Amino acid sequence: MEESNKSARRKFLDKGLKLGFAAALGGIGITKVAQKLSAKPNHSSHDKMELMDTEGNIIEVDSTEVMEITPKTDPDEKYNMREGIPNRKFVMVVDLAKCKNALACQSACNKHHYITGDNAWIKVYNMQESADTAPYWMPVTCQHCDEPACVTVCPVDATFKRRDGLVLIDNERCIGCRFCMAACPYSIRVFNWNEPDQGEIYVNMEAEMSHHKPSPEHAGAPSKMGTVDKCDFCPHAVQNNELPHCVTACPNGVFYFGDKYEDTVTNGQESLRLSKLLEDKAGYRYMEALGTQPSVYYLPPTDRLVDFKDGLENYNEYESVPNPE
Amino acid sequence: MKNCKITSFVFLFILISLGLGISDNDLYAQTKKNRARINADYVKVIGGESYLNIKASARIDKKTVEVSHIDLQILQELNDEEIQIGKTTTNASGISKFIIEDFANLQPDSLGVYNLIISFDGNDSFKKASRDVSFRNADIEAKWIVKDSVNYVSAKLIDTQLDSALAEIPLTVRVDRLFRPLKIGEDFYDTDNDGEIQVPIENGIPGIDGNLKLEVVLSESDDYGTVIAQLTAPIGTVIVDESTYDQRTMWSPRGKTPIFLLALTYSFIFIVWGIFIYLFINLVRIIKS
Amino acid sequence: MKSREQFIQDLAPKKFTKVEKIWLGLLIVMILAGVVAYADQVRSGLQVTNLNDYALWGIYISNFVFFIATSFVGAATVAILRLTQNSWRTPLVRIAEIISLAAIIMAGITIIIDLGRPDRALYTVIYARFQSPITWDVIIIPTYMVAIFYLLYFPLLPDLAILKKYYSETKPRLSKWYGKLSLNWKGTDKQKRIQQKSIKIIAILVLPLGLILQTIDAWLFSSTYRIGWNSTNFGPYFISGAFVAGVGTLVVTIFLVRKVKGLEEYITDYHFDRMGKFLALACLIYLYFNANEYLMPAYASTVNEEVHLDTLFTGHYSTIFWFVTIGGLVVPIILLMFKKGRSPVAMFWIGVLVVLASWWKRYIIVTPTLLHPYLPIQGVPESWRDYFPSLHEWVITGSNLATALLILTLLVRYLPVVAIQRTIDESKLEHNDQKRES
Repeated sequence: MEESNKSARRKFLDKGLKLGFAAALGGIGITKVAQKLSAKPNHSSHDKMELMDTEGNIIEVDSTEVMEITPKTDPDEKYNMREGIPNRKFVMVVDLAKCKNALACQSACNKHHYITGDNAWIKVYNMQESADTAPYWMPVTCQHCDEPACVTVCPVDATFKRRDGLVLIDNERCIGCRFCMAACPYSIRVFNWNEPDQGEIYVNMEAEMSHHKPSPEHAGAPSKMGTVDKCDFCPHAVQNNELPHCVTACPNGVFYFGDKYEDTVTNGQESLRLSKLLEDKAGYRYMEALGTQPSVYYLPPTDRLVDFKDGLENYNEYESVPNPE
Repeated sequence: MKNCKITSFVFLFILISLGLGISDNDLYAQTKKNRARINADYVKVIGGESYLNIKASARIDKKTVEVSHIDLQILQELNDEEIQIGKTTTNASGISKFIIEDFANLQPDSLGVYNLIISFDGNDSFKKASRDVSFRNADIEAKWIVKDSVNYVSAKLIDTQLDSALAEIPLTVRVDRLFRPLKIGEDFYDTDNDGEIQVPIENGIPGIDGNLKLEVVLSESDDYGTVIAQLTAPIGTVIVDESTYDQRTMWSPRGKTPIFLLALTYSFIFIVWGIFIYLFINLVRIIKS
Repeated sequence: MKSREQFIQDLAPKKFTKVEKIWLGLLIVMILAGVVAYADQVRSGLQVTNLNDYALWGIYISNFVFFIATSFVGAATVAILRLTQNSWRTPLVRIAEIISLAAIIMAGITIIIDLGRPDRALYTVIYARFQSPITWDVIIIPTYMVAIFYLLYFPLLPDLAILKKYYSETKPRLSKWYGKLSLNWKGTDKQKRIQQKSIKIIAILVLPLGLILQTIDAWLFSSTYRIGWNSTNFGPYFISGAFVAGVGTLVVTIFLVRKVKGLEEYITDYHFDRMGKFLALACLIYLYFNANEYLMPAYASTVNEEVHLDTLFTGHYSTIFWFVTIGGLVVPIILLMFKKGRSPVAMFWIGVLVVLASWWKRYIIVTPTLLHPYLPIQGVPESWRDYFPSLHEWVITGSNLATALLILTLLVRYLPVVAIQRTIDESKLEHNDQKRES
């Protein structure tokens, strides 16, 4: 009896070990196959880091995207975000003679500010003053007024005017009273009526913005329910010596951006003296008579390079943020 | 025995799946590798750094995309030998700026030409590629002068190795601005026989404290690459802060409310609530009596 | 002449009748529905309303303006009538004060409901920016609330003492509460002196406070560039509008309270007659300011103003506009010219018309202006070009009204709606006068 038990045990152990070993190898093999089948194509293999986004989800980010930040500890050099970039006054010039409603500006802005919802922050208007005068396309961003009506009426200092001319929104402070929206005569402010559906986009944002800390300098990253948003003249890009996204994206060179103190604006291809440009092309500001002192100048649509009708095929009266189906 | 058959079946199955799993790129055998294109320009800043502006791109599905995160080697070609002088990796936009750390270590060939190669060894998605960059060493001496109460920038372009002036070469003069520099005067000024140009600088160009950071540039020359000479000249108009940030205005933050408004609201509150406190005291007096 | 005891018995608060209990039940149901709707709004955001980036203020703000306007009635009846020495106001002032208190409390609640981030409501105090009209509102609303409270409370003291004695046997616990609240009132000369002086002070103070409150409410709109709002007329326009809304509400409330509490002897046809004239005066003044606001711009207006006037006179909002102007102002003025028009029942229906028109008037002030901004409405869904409140908004509005009525009902239940002591005093004076004459 014992003999048969021992041999049975031995046989069992023998078989079990073999099977277990094979199973382990097979498991590895199957896992690898599964990985390959579901793996995304890589341009190169890099170390990946696991990070947590602000929603508490674990995401994987290429380690090359992650940069170490040495915090500025020098008190003299401390940057006051509510005061802004020193020695600058940002202005934009929009050449209406060149705009043909390509809407590249709108797509770039929507993308880089993670805009969901139904109202874009830059809109190209189909404008026609009267039946006798010719229609034209007019892109309108926040005018970053020097006497901003929106800032004047904010009860909690959530929107503020900086020394460098920008008007920004602190969405940690905003109480959602929408008085600023009522006060703005250019209708450029947008409200988050629901939880902004930035979910998927947000994960991309975390990967793209390696050292991202939410700040009024990058509006929309993220947006908060019950607060107001608007064009911010992209200080997050300007800090990296890049032009705002609408300026870079425009294929027709419509937008010029620069520093009024330096009297220079550029659209990425050509740089011009601002004062000369305004003089030569009779620049003006929209609704100047209201006295808001906007920072956006328009060049009238004379000597047009494009036909107004060419822009009509792109024109959607009822949509400015294409929502994924 | 049945057991043996089952066991051997299992073994076979496991071996096969293992075999499939271990072989690396096999499942991607059908993906064709794209060709990466590398573009590079040599830029030298006088008194500053010399570097290569490298851009990697590829044509995929008839669209040009940037090739990011690829490793590139920078080599110098000398006497038919390739010596590595550095490595770099393109960033997310497919761009890399490779600074030539020690220019002195580079050696020109017998004709005074520096020959560099940017080489890409290829990876899973892209084939190998490389780009040659050849340039001679040039220098620009630039200074500002005043002649007949007009400000000028005067510059001389010389080939360093031959130590000779370069004539009939177009130079531009520009002032450093945010984002992009602003060209001053004509598009190009050709150097004269002495390799010199003299460009008038108009009045009224603003600069911080009146200082203008000017540049004299030889742009993308076939022989010399891009050469930039920088100088600071106190010939601009002083930039004055025009913002209302420091003033008490209706659109200022709460710390800078106009005085009359503060006075009005606070006195209103004090007076009215003072009366309320008095009335409250009256109530207390009523209880007490 | 009635005896003192008779007065007290007539005017003392009585237990809820069955009808009143059903009324309370309905109010509570409405309030709970509003709480549910608001909880949903807090959870999913203001998308539960039909508001959008163009119609960014809707009936929440209309409600707010309406309650602020109604709260003016305390200042109007008590202060104005007192200053002009209209002694017929006596049986009406208590109710006016109660309406004011309920309305101003509801105004405070209603505005918080409109916020996108109600969790940050206190930022208006912590981070207050004095340049903003909303901050001025945050200052004046609590101030006015306290003023109305004092206005209600000081004259109430003798009545509370009376009620304490009245209920001392039948309802000892209630009596004790009355006693505590009456602050030891014994009717001594010293107490009377303090009380009269205080009443005089607060009655004078409440009028400028009420005027400031209405003006600041108006400036919430006229401090913007919007066509239809950017009017220099808005301050007095809102004051006179508040006058109308307040007196209209007063008339309706008095009629109902009088019926339910059986106070026909104290609030007589004479009072309705006088109130009718008061209301007619208010409507005339308001009509004058309406003419300034709408007729004059029609004479010489910019393109934008023309668009605004077109929507009101002949366009999308014309039905409401003419209802509000003709039905809410012209018709009442005409009807109130006649003595029959100032009879209690007629007054009640005219009052109802005036109140309804007042609410829709605020809707006309808020919404049309927002729907014709300077830049054309493009790039947004077609539904954004119009605004009509959603179910959530209606339920919350109804709930706000119910809460106001609940406060009213409870105060009317436990407080004597006609001032007992004063009525006694005044009838004694009358009696003495009559005695002297005979």
